Amino acid sequence: MIDFVQNTIDGVMIGASYGLLALGFTLIFGVMRRLNLSYGPSIMIGAYLGTLIYVQFSAGPVAVVVMTVLGAVLAGIYVERLCFAPMAASAGIASMVSSFAIWMQLEQAAILILPRHTYPFPPLATGAPLELGPFLLRIDHLMMLACALLLSAGVQYVIYRSRFGLALRAIIGNPVAAHLVGIDVKTSVMLAFAGASAVGGIAGYLVLAIDQQVTPMFGMWATMKGLIAMMIGGLGSIPGAILGGLVLGVVEAHSLWHFGPQVRDLVAYLLLFACLVLRPSGILGDAPAAETSIGRRSA
Amino acid sequence: MDFYLGLIQIIGVHTLLGLSAYCVLHTGQVSLAQAGFFAVGAYVAGMLTVLAHWPIVPALLVAGVVAGSLACAVGFPALRVKGLMLVVATAAFGEAVRLFFFNFNYQLERGGFHIGPHGGEGFRQIRYFPEYGWSTLEVAAFIWVVVVLTMAALWWMDRSRAGAVLRAVGEDEVAAQSSGINVTVVKVSAMTVGGVIAGIGGGIFAHYTTHIEHIQFGIVLATFAVAYPILGGLSNVFGTLIAVIFIQGFLIEGLRFMGDWRNLLFGGLIVLAMNVRPRGLIDAGTITLVKRLVFRSKERASA
Repeated sequence: MIDFVQNTIDGVMIGASYGLLALGFTLIFGVMRRLNLSYGPSIMIGAYLGTLIYVQFSAGPVAVVVMTVLGAVLAGIYVERLCFAPMAASAGIASMVSSFAIWMQLEQAAILILPRHTYPFPPLATGAPLELGPFLLRIDHLMMLACALLLSAGVQYVIYRSRFGLALRAIIGNPVAAHLVGIDVKTSVMLAFAGASAVGGIAGYLVLAIDQQVTPMFGMWATMKGLIAMMIGGLGSIPGAILGGLVLGVVEAHSLWHFGPQVRDLVAYLLLFACLVLRPSGILGDAPAAETSIGRRSA
Repeated sequence: MDFYLGLIQIIGVHTLLGLSAYCVLHTGQVSLAQAGFFAVGAYVAGMLTVLAHWPIVPALLVAGVVAGSLACAVGFPALRVKGLMLVVATAAFGEAVRLFFFNFNYQLERGGFHIGPHGGEGFRQIRYFPEYGWSTLEVAAFIWVVVVLTMAALWWMDRSRAGAVLRAVGEDEVAAQSSGINVTVVKVSAMTVGGVIAGIGGGIFAHYTTHIEHIQFGIVLATFAVAYPILGGLSNVFGTLIAVIFIQGFLIEGLRFMGDWRNLLFGGLIVLAMNVRPRGLIDAGTITLVKRLVFRSKERASA
């Protein structure tokens, strides 16, 4: 029983990072309705730049955070300009293939920035874990969970309460009509992309600060985990992204405990496949799968 | 010379992989499960020739049938979802297949050696071609016979009623349904045919590399599989072939001298190609152009 609860706690904590990754994904998918495979790799570019100033100039944590987010945003805009802005709205698959090509490019760029396989990443909080009875809680895990909840609340606020969010929802609903009432569609979409990358950058920083190391595999890992969490939670739903991340984290923690690391990933993919087939709109999505997006919810 | 033969073999196998995705793409479905079917074909064919001492051709056929049946079985639930949800669902399935082979152990002892798939270490010593004394040239010729047969079959299918039905479903599902086409049957059949082709391709791949492991069949291979027909264009089978030659021959082998910088250029060139020709390198316009050129030269000859 103690193991079960401890596994669930660990799962929730790891799940918070998946939820954060899914949050950025949801923004891009909700606005563009297209799959950006380069999402993880562009976060990785930010992380590598952050690591670079940490390793070269022993920069402090604030500088590393700023550099990571800035790098992720720049890489995100680069992806948007090349793979999404020039493609017609109907050519979603061409965008996906392009973003895959950019993925390989960004991965190579990361290796050129820092050629060794593994680099240290500055830790977030060192110190003994909190003890609650028989259970252990790591402080950096708690900070990540708090960040996940705060950021998702912030994103929810921006999308549903701000003028910019209103413009975005108008674009999602009908891009032509949004253009006619004077919304600058291209700039808004680019800003949404940049915002999604910034959220991704923060997620990437937190995950790497807990792992305390960064490798070129991080990009693919981030794309896949964010994607799975987003799909399980419900496409285009902001609370769904966080919830999907938590569910994925808990399921993974339990299968890791019972079956080992190789089966853990298998279980994650089978969960995703089953979820998509049985309930394509995800846990919190309510509309039919193809139509689900941020804008279609009552607001 | 062996280098070029090796390249010709790679291009052949990747063309089969691309054609398997081409089939599914015709119905407007993007499947990232093709690498999974390719993996199933590779393992099944390898186990049949190594463990059961089957000849290569029946082993490939069985590999195709097994991969095709799996594709059919996956097609029914997976095709309930559309568009990007299908992309993700099939990607998840493909990764699940890969991780299955990561954990798959089935070893027999033969003359003091353990042979057969061995989890993370992969499946070594698929030595059918060297054991029976096939030269590299003969292997390359064998691969291309299969490729040409597949292309001919798909070319014929494109021009038959079946091709028209596939395109109808791909262009507008509702219109196709209202004119009496059973959309589910069409989609699942396309998925099955794609699975068969991917399975045969995988079987060949296992035999010319002689060593397969799970990591080769990941999401990267799956994306390559759909990238070929999308880059090449869906108007006919030669688009896929040309895209494979462009990516494998030019971008990967031709630019090898650029070392680490190759992948940077690789990404840029594919994005450029997709921006300049979003409907593929060979689209309907290219065919009209070629036809017009041929027609004009004939006219001139007769004049």
